[in-house]
Amino acid sequence: MHETDPDVELVALAQGGDEHAFEALVVKYQRRVARHVARYVRRAVDVEDIVQETFIRAYRGLTSFRGQSTFYSWLYRIATNAALNAAQREPMPVATTEDADERAFAFEPGNSDAENPERSLMASQIADAVQRALARLKPELAEPLMLYEVEGKTYPQIAEMLGVPIGTVRTRIFRAREFIAKRLEPVLGPQRDRRW
Amino acid sequence: MSLDVSRMLDGDLAGDELKAALGAVAGDPSRRDRYTLYGLTGDVLRGNSTPDDGFSMRIFERMRAEGTKIEPGYDPLAE
Repeated sequence: MHETDPDVELVALAQGGDEHAFEALVVKYQRRVARHVARYVRRAVDVEDIVQETFIRAYRGLTSFRGQSTFYSWLYRIATNAALNAAQREPMPVATTEDADERAFAFEPGNSDAENPERSLMASQIADAVQRALARLKPELAEPLMLYEVEGKTYPQIAEMLGVPIGTVRTRIFRAREFIAKRLEPVLGPQRDRRW
Repeated sequence: MSLDVSRMLDGDLAGDELKAALGAVAGDPSRRDRYTLYGLTGDVLRGNSTPDDGFSMRIFERMRAEGTKIEPGYDPLAE
């Protein structure tokens, strides 16, 4: 993962009362938090409730975050506590380790039933669209994006590895994302307007 | 422009540049859309392709409905 916290500046703004900064953090991490929570509980409705609780607790306690860990690590711990607390308050179907990853992949926010073929189909279509776009992407654009998103390298590390200036890294990552975004738009369709 | 949205997602902006990008994302649906799509792309590459389907909006709606505020002295890890 990144050696430094990429969210330091956004968190500082949020701590100062900038609600848009906190919203940007929610949009950035809600899927990751939901996937983590889905390892603890079975029902999608419980996952969504716990994720909401996680972000509400995080917002209320923003000033207690002092950067001793990354912001996401802090969120992760809040989510873990919230999931365990919820399970203690009201016993709910608890995840087993065998199927946790599969269910986390299939987690469907907003639905009371995790078995939702339409949502699973949409998730598959999204994954396919990204993989197809990635296959068509020039290697010089795909490589920095993968190093950043998958390998967790920082811009300076990627610049050093590829032997290019940092400015080139940031523009190549942007161009890669834009290439993929244009191919994701038709897959997501009108529901895009509902995401944020 | 969307380059700044990409940089914001990666924590590559600070100070006035970040505030400007944040304001642009908050006030421009097309840039919000880009922020969401770029984030989704990263999640898909890490193996999580779950669509949002209003999930983030429901979090904000609940926070507004409950009047959630920053509470100095509250430690969420102490619960």
